[in-house]
Amino acid sequence: MLNLQTRQEENASVITVKGKVNFEVTAQLREAVKETIATHQPKLLVINLEGVSFIDSSGLGLLVAARSSIDKINGRLHLCNLPSQVMKVFDQTNLTNYFSIYASEQDALSAL
Amino acid sequence: MAQQNKGIVLVADGEAAIRDILLFYLKRSGFQVIQAEDGQDVLLEMTKIQPDLVLADLSLPGISGDQLCRILKGNPDTKDIYFILMTPFSEYTDIEVTIDALSIGADDTINKPLRSQELLARVGSAFRLIQMQKEIKQQNRDLTVFRENVQRELELAARLQVSLLPEVGTIAPYQYTHRYKPVGGIGGDIYAITPLPYGGAALLIADVSGHGVTSALISAVVKTSFENHIRSRGGPMTWAQCINRDLLRNTMEEQFATAFLAKLDPMEGNFTYACAGHEPPIYIAQGATGNPKSPIALSSSSHPLGMDESMSFTEHTITFEPGDRLILYTDGLVETESESQKRLGAEGLLQLCSALATNQEDTASQIFQYAQEFIAPREFSDDVTLVLIDHVVPGG
Repeated sequence: MLNLQTRQEENASVITVKGKVNFEVTAQLREAVKETIATHQPKLLVINLEGVSFIDSSGLGLLVAARSSIDKINGRLHLCNLPSQVMKVFDQTNLTNYFSIYASEQDALSAL
Repeated sequence: MAQQNKGIVLVADGEAAIRDILLFYLKRSGFQVIQAEDGQDVLLEMTKIQPDLVLADLSLPGISGDQLCRILKGNPDTKDIYFILMTPFSEYTDIEVTIDALSIGADDTINKPLRSQELLARVGSAFRLIQMQKEIKQQNRDLTVFRENVQRELELAARLQVSLLPEVGTIAPYQYTHRYKPVGGIGGDIYAITPLPYGGAALLIADVSGHGVTSALISAVVKTSFENHIRSRGGPMTWAQCINRDLLRNTMEEQFATAFLAKLDPMEGNFTYACAGHEPPIYIAQGATGNPKSPIALSSSSHPLGMDESMSFTEHTITFEPGDRLILYTDGLVETESESQKRLGAEGLLQLCSALATNQEDTASQIFQYAQEFIAPREFSDDVTLVLIDHVVPGG
């Protein structure tokens, strides 16, 4: 099970993810992203990955899908606090260039 | 004339008068009624037809009602027959008798002397439960059939998928082998090695996100697309771009594949490769001889296939001469967590590759077993594919 927390900032939704993001739990995260986008139509969606100990290809697929969902409502997706083991997977798949990645949640929220 | 048959009730009582009363009321309410005057008679009747409900007197001659209840409830063939024990009414012992009856497996009790309204209410309630039980049993049977069908389909699909993998063999001057272990019989890993019409061979290993049937289907799309595009003169970079487009056309947004594509050229003694987000393969110069050089991970970072139309891929070339060895794998081999929460990882595998056997089959087994033992007693949680390719030493 993933530990997910969702909260609203002034112009942004923030989802904090803790746990291992793999095939077994992607449904849970997918639901959270879908619901946040449907309910709040955020201009900015921040996904904080600080507590993610592992991410597999299904998890990456989900983040790519999240980006395209938010693109559709002209919003933006910012990822932040990527632990080194997650960053390694992003590097290998060159997704560091595909996503907007920030060191802290504050940076992710204030970046335009 | 009785109403339509609502079910079969077996009435067991030593007194003919009681049987007649029960017969009268139950028949009038639409039940089919069988009568038995003692215990043996009950067992005899039950060999002919199985009732839905048995209504038996506690002091039934031959085999008493409570004994009969134990017999029927103790037999797997008759244990689901609803059993109502008729007990004599007594102001003092009533509750004990009821408790005893229920504790030996009776489903309900009814006091004698019988009151027709109570009798019909209890039998009606019994048949509601009997009906529900029948429906659940039918649903269970349907589910079992469904599960068996799905299982059979999956087994067929798994066999088909294995048949899509290249057989262990050679495309001169290359020799290759593999180890393949999908999670749940069918998976998203695929690999292919195909001779090229203008010499050399094209190589692919890919891992589709997720696992199971959907991934397996997409892996077949990747393979087909690969085999179509290698006929054109381009190299791995072009192939990657073409497969990328095919995947975007044919899959949903969360599905993509990491892949390593290579064109092996025996004339030049090298190979050109593109790595689309895949685990870096390990290259060991002279790895197939007794004098291997240090293993090198062929890192490069391009996007996985099927993620975005605009993504571009890069190509690199590395020497691949007689005696050289290439080891390809999917992340399932190194990314399963052991009980102590450790992963072998690409680093662990690279380390292992400094001390490998020379013989190709031995090496494949050595790597696979090492990875398996690393996580034992756990099993791989993702599809695992391991491929070894050697440039064979002429006359070696």
